[in-house]
Amino acid sequence: MRVVVGIKWVPNTQAVRFDPRTGTLLREGVPSIVNPHDLVAVEFALELRDKYGGEVIAITMAPPSALKGLEHVIGMGVDRGILITDRVFAGADTLATSYVIAHAIRKIEREIGHVDLAVFGQETIDSSTAHIGAQTASWLGWPYLYYVTKAEPVDGKLIVERTLEDRVEVYELELPAVVAVAMRSRKPRPVRLANKIRAKLEKPLIIWSNKELGLDPRCVGLRGSPTVVAKITFTPEVPRKKKIYRPRSGDDAAHWILKSLLADEKASKILRRILGGEM
Amino acid sequence: MNTGPDCGKLCPEWSCIDPREYRGVWVVAEVDEDGIKEASLQMMTPALKIASNLGEEVTGVLVGYGVERYSEELIAHGASRVIVVDDPRLSTYYPDVYAKVVASLAEKFKSRVILVAATMRGREMAPYIANTLRTGITADCTDFDVDPETREVVMIRPPFGAIMLAHIKTPTRRPQIGTARPNVFPVPPRDESRRGEVVRVNLEDIPKPSARLVSVRKIPREEVPIEKAEVIVSGGKGVGGPEGFKLLERLAQLLGGVVAGSRKAVDAGWLPPERQVGQTGKTVKPVIYIAVGISGAAQHMFGVREAGVIVAINTDPNAPIFRQADYGVIADYREVIPRLIELLESAKGSNRRSNLGT
Ligand SMILES: Cc1cc2nc3c(=O)[nH]c(=O)nc-3n(C[C@H](O)[C@H](O)[C@H](O)COP(=O)(O)OP(=O)(O)OC[C@H]3O[C@@H](n4cnc5c(N)ncnc54)[C@H](O)[C@@H]3O)c2cc1C
Ligand SMILES: Nc1ncnc2c1ncn2[C@@H]1O[C@H](COP(=O)(O)O)[C@@H](O)[C@H]1O
Repeated sequence: MRVVVGIKWVPNTQAVRFDPRTGTLLREGVPSIVNPHDLVAVEFALELRDKYGGEVIAITMAPPSALKGLEHVIGMGVDRGILITDRVFAGADTLATSYVIAHAIRKIEREIGHVDLAVFGQETIDSSTAHIGAQTASWLGWPYLYYVTKAEPVDGKLIVERTLEDRVEVYELELPAVVAVAMRSRKPRPVRLANKIRAKLEKPLIIWSNKELGLDPRCVGLRGSPTVVAKITFTPEVPRKKKIYRPRSGDDAAHWILKSLLADEKASKILRRILGGEM
Repeated sequence: MNTGPDCGKLCPEWSCIDPREYRGVWVVAEVDEDGIKEASLQMMTPALKIASNLGEEVTGVLVGYGVERYSEELIAHGASRVIVVDDPRLSTYYPDVYAKVVASLAEKFKSRVILVAATMRGREMAPYIANTLRTGITADCTDFDVDPETREVVMIRPPFGAIMLAHIKTPTRRPQIGTARPNVFPVPPRDESRRGEVVRVNLEDIPKPSARLVSVRKIPREEVPIEKAEVIVSGGKGVGGPEGFKLLERLAQLLGGVVAGSRKAVDAGWLPPERQVGQTGKTVKPVIYIAVGISGAAQHMFGVREAGVIVAINTDPNAPIFRQADYGVIADYREVIPRLIELLESAKGSNRRSNLGT
């Protein structure tokens, strides 16, 4: 099987800054990592390859610094990495991002070989939209499923299991297909230096800009994005009483909590009901 | 974009549309064998708000087989019209098939806004609808607004850690699509007397699925889901382990509530993922939320914005939770919770006795 896995290079911090003029994310000075949920997707792809043969290709649309992220997953055992990078791709929303990813997958099919499966993480930690998998499937016209926990190729099809809120479902997908992997479904394997060295010797990383992809600039980046961030505001604070107590003992604390709740206009009714007396 | 479309400037993969021709706010309802999802009914609340700001109406959309009977439910909750595609070919849910059906309806009726509850199926299907229509989609909205000048609908979501809100517009494309997580909005009041129109649509072409559902197994969920609980005792990293959670469980039982926790508690394996509160967990609205050993990160607190009263127990006086709680106790929970349990037990006991006496 040839499996393509999409990874995103995301800021590893909750302190993300914005350009208030363009509403876009300022990444400078913020250390980045591979989106943790994508490492789970990489593990899922590697398990398939280890069991059934073939190769795993990681792709990412990102600034050049994301080569580090590709090196990381190559260290886990991914066979090759493709960085898709170009200034015209900047500022893309999920529609424009998936457009580029889908075309990169098409290019892989033309130049490297038939792709059986495209694998994505459940969502990213910086935007957590969970859009890219479905949107890439839509551009490619491939069937897809989210929250996948297991997969097994059988007779040219893929049997997948996935868990929703209240059910476990098993599907048979025609290939090629797209799956997004459930984020807690497995533990990513560690990076091994030997993998990094072998990959460096054998197949260097590939970099594609829009020169190679040849996409209409109106369909990519900010221009290819139907959504526009009009402004950024702060989340309004919820008003709270903020009464703070430093008790002398646990007993003291327990009494204070109970007394406070019994006197609280929102909590007292339910607490009295719980305590059993309709006082 | 009030001067009409200039499609030459737009991606040629997008069909040329005039945004001004699009009207109405749609809610795509999710139905399974247990009926219509509460999360879908919750979407009627923002839909009604947007529609009234625009002076337009709300349409419910039902896609599936045997789904027409839920039309009244949508009308009773505020829909003026329900569009139904009820077809045996849609008896099984496949995200791409359902999405294409919804997209074809949106093209036919030219809807302005489509809202979908961000249940797991909703999160899976909504971006495919958007992509089929080559339009914008905003995930996990927490609010919606209408620009009074341009009449554009603004979708508001907290990206990058719940501290900030992005206000997102879709100037050139329609419909605009938005999702919201379950429990972010309440179900609007049910009014049996409401009347609405039911429009049945027969589609000749329904795409054939390239997938086949092989089997379904329901997961028995015996406990009260945290989003339904009136009292939540929530534990974080500071609880330290499963032993501590047993203590929280006892407290929760006494209070008729349930135990939930932070992501760190879930990541540590002390709690199952469906008990996680927060931006990537669940939004809860208990009357009383007791946060034990939780620092109060923005992503966590995002899930308890609607809580009635927040009690915090934390050893660190500088923990951010104290700036976001109603009653904060600076103490080790291992000293406080056992005493609280004793106190509640004796209070319950004495109330029972005094009730017997009357
Ligand atoms: C994109 C994104 C999404 C996220 N989504 C979520 C989410 O949905 N939900 C969520 O919870 N988090 C989420 N997080 C993680 C969040 O940022 C915090 O890391 C997490 O909430 C911290 O969990 P905590 O409070 O249990 O642990 P910590 O921050 O480690 O806090 C532990 C607290 O326990 C206190 N403590 C220690 N011992 C005791 C004791 N004996 N008695 C009392 N107090 C004690 C400490 O003083 C400390 O304040 C998300 C993060 C990102 C980046
Ligand atoms: N820029 C990108 N390049 C490659 N893959 C991506 C990119 N952005 C997102 N993905 C993939 O799509 C998944 C969902 O991302 P998101 O829709 O941003 O939550 C991620 O887990 C990745 O697998």
